Amino acid sequence: MLAYILRRVLQTIPVMAFVALFVFSLLYIAPGDPAAIIAGDQATPADIARIHAQLGLDRPFLVRFADWAWRVLHGDLGVSIFTNLPVSHMIAQRIEPTLSLMILTMILSIVIAVPMGVLAAWKQGTLIDRAVMLNAVIGFSVPVFVIGYVLAYIFALQLEWLPVQGFTSISQGFWPFLRTLILPAVTLGGIYIALIARITRATMLEVLSQDYVRTARAKGLGQNSVLFLHALKNAAVPIATVIGLGVALLIGGAVVTETVFAIPGLGRLTVDAILRRDYPVIQGVVLLFSFAFVLVNLLVDLTYTFFDPRIRY
Amino acid sequence: MKRRTFMAGAACASLAAPAIAAAPGARVLKFIPQADLAVLDPIWTTAYVTRNHGFLVFDTLYGQDDQYKAQPQMVDGATTGDDGKRWTLKLRDRLKFHDGSPVLARDCVASIQRWGKRDAFGGALMAVTDELSAADDRTIVFRLKKPFALLPDALGKTGSNICAIMPERLAKTDAFTQVTEMVGSGPFRFLGDERVPGSHFAYARFDGYKPRESGTASFTAGPKVANFDRVEWTVIPDSATAAGALQSGEVDWWENPPGDLLPLLRRGGKLKVVVQDPTGYLGYMRPNFLYPPFDNKAFRRALMPAINQADFMTAAAGSDPALSHTGIGAFCPTSPMATDAGMSVLNGPHDLDRVREAVRASGYQGEKVALLAATDFPIINAIANVGADLLKKCGVNVDYQAVDWGTVVQRRAKKDPPDKGGWNVFFTYWTGLDNFNPAVDLALRANGAGGGSWFGWPDMPKLEELRNAWFEAPDLATQKRICDQIQQDVFDEVPFYPLGQLYQPTAYNTNLEGILNGFVLFWNVKAVA
Repeated sequence: MLAYILRRVLQTIPVMAFVALFVFSLLYIAPGDPAAIIAGDQATPADIARIHAQLGLDRPFLVRFADWAWRVLHGDLGVSIFTNLPVSHMIAQRIEPTLSLMILTMILSIVIAVPMGVLAAWKQGTLIDRAVMLNAVIGFSVPVFVIGYVLAYIFALQLEWLPVQGFTSISQGFWPFLRTLILPAVTLGGIYIALIARITRATMLEVLSQDYVRTARAKGLGQNSVLFLHALKNAAVPIATVIGLGVALLIGGAVVTETVFAIPGLGRLTVDAILRRDYPVIQGVVLLFSFAFVLVNLLVDLTYTFFDPRIRY
Repeated sequence: MKRRTFMAGAACASLAAPAIAAAPGARVLKFIPQADLAVLDPIWTTAYVTRNHGFLVFDTLYGQDDQYKAQPQMVDGATTGDDGKRWTLKLRDRLKFHDGSPVLARDCVASIQRWGKRDAFGGALMAVTDELSAADDRTIVFRLKKPFALLPDALGKTGSNICAIMPERLAKTDAFTQVTEMVGSGPFRFLGDERVPGSHFAYARFDGYKPRESGTASFTAGPKVANFDRVEWTVIPDSATAAGALQSGEVDWWENPPGDLLPLLRRGGKLKVVVQDPTGYLGYMRPNFLYPPFDNKAFRRALMPAINQADFMTAAAGSDPALSHTGIGAFCPTSPMATDAGMSVLNGPHDLDRVREAVRASGYQGEKVALLAATDFPIINAIANVGADLLKKCGVNVDYQAVDWGTVVQRRAKKDPPDKGGWNVFFTYWTGLDNFNPAVDLALRANGAGGGSWFGWPDMPKLEELRNAWFEAPDLATQKRICDQIQQDVFDEVPFYPLGQLYQPTAYNTNLEGILNGFVLFWNVKAVA
């Protein structure tokens, strides 16, 4: 197992190197010039040329890439062209809101979606099953920002239970922290719940038709034992896989959710950086997201061993 | 995971969070700015949001009252001598920077020199300056090559870039490099440790600030009395969310709500929606003089009668007549330089048949016109769409290129041919303050591709001569006469097409009082019960 983990961790190195080169190249060939954006609408072409040179953007591609890669290897993600702040500092400022939003969304989604999927499979063809599937279709088809606006209108503007926007750090109290995250997490969770509920239902239906489930029932085991100990445990591998893959969905959804609820997270940092062509920030955030995604996939692979003892690494 | 481990992790995560600390009972003004404050140095960028931040943190030697006249601000008084070629400015006593150090004349000298390297008006002043020195701690001396009556106007200009006074150690920074600290002598201190770029910026009232003792607050002139202990800027990029935050009372003031949300904000009577800046914004279509067909004066002129400013302004500001203004020439209508000279070409019938005929007669061969439309700025997108449609109706072969603003600002700086990454025409809009007179209006610079001109690189020696003459004009009447000629030259040579003026209202809670006319300023405003 340890050798497997080590091998997988080592495999992330070429992946990250490829991502770094790919992102750097993409930004190099993409249109836009941060110097022109910094200088502003009232600047002259001469001003822009001076800032361009001052920022070192006139150096050849390979020199710039080598310089950046060397610094990244030393743990330095560089300095934002616009804010003059270290990229690592900007990421550190933004990681708490995004991480909190994603963790809360995952908890909420799993707690809601897995029982929903199990229930739908158990009650296949009934009104409950159809209601669960209808929810899943809505979750898939309604855009995240629409859900966000509707929730904000009802719970923030009309009922005044929750804030319209913003984020409060957990260091300022758990309830203020949670208050700012409830609506965003429910918003972002819509599509995730739909995804997990559907895969749970489909996998459970398959498992429930297996011989060992019939045997369990024949032995006289209760419904809960059959559903949760025998069936769900055996259905867990594809569910865990989807939960892991869904992290990419969450990252994408977080960009929209953070914008709708004005949460100062990594998603908004990325969008702002792209619009401004703040190259060091874009490169730093994309590297971080790639690393997180690789790590989540590794964790998902490792969880298989807990659900299915036949899997060995 | 053990509970302790989780708690430790949560504590670590919160370490990176900004230290937001408003004292209990502090009077806090919560504000949504027009855009993210990405850059803090008001000399390094011309972005308006940075200029607005600049007025919180930095003070200026002169202010501008709401009649747009320069008035002493940090300066106690000024004397001139040597037939107007020597200006002596005396600083007010006991002015302090936020780091506690006194504001000295040498700080002002270094600040003026840095500003003069970036700002067009500042550049004009420095070009006639033989020597700028600090005679003593409170005395700044300009020795000029020739009289420059506009010196107070230059030092007190309110359009970007403003002449922000900072300590000499910061002002010595290269004008093309951002300063690393925000130390000014303005009425508010910037709280750098609370800064979350893209989200949150905070300012605390500077207790060491000494407002002018006489006069009344008027735009950037007069006493700057800060009535709030803190000003917090929250960046909310989504306008529906910003509207919700203002309606729910989470913020007090939203700088620029879009036109389609104004009826919603007016409903209920809890919010005030007003046009606070009578100079508004002026829209422009800017042609590239370097390549066909806009290198042809006859072609440029042929299109001018087609411009119906009402079409552009309806698209940009909506149908509310209070939010836009047509019949705009080369200057902001609020400016004393605004004139009717030559306006018949814009105000006449917009006969497109005749325009098409004139376009053909100009020798236009159907060349493609690369039109850059910035889709991420609603106003620019709106006027670009109207412009593209109009050019097509005039028989122009439009190559409509929908890009983001980041691409427009890169592309427009290129002098390459349009089919090799260059361009033919783009659209933008500036505040009226940046179109107030020939000193501040960059679109009127016309010395070709050699340097000094804005994108489009018009080569119009007569316009440059008129601009220089304007600087030397002895009185307002002469200035106005020169501006008549400038506007006629603009309609003759067409360095740009004026598309009208629009106003962007600001919205705030009805318990706020004392908001000054002009762009957003944070002194004088107070909350009432």
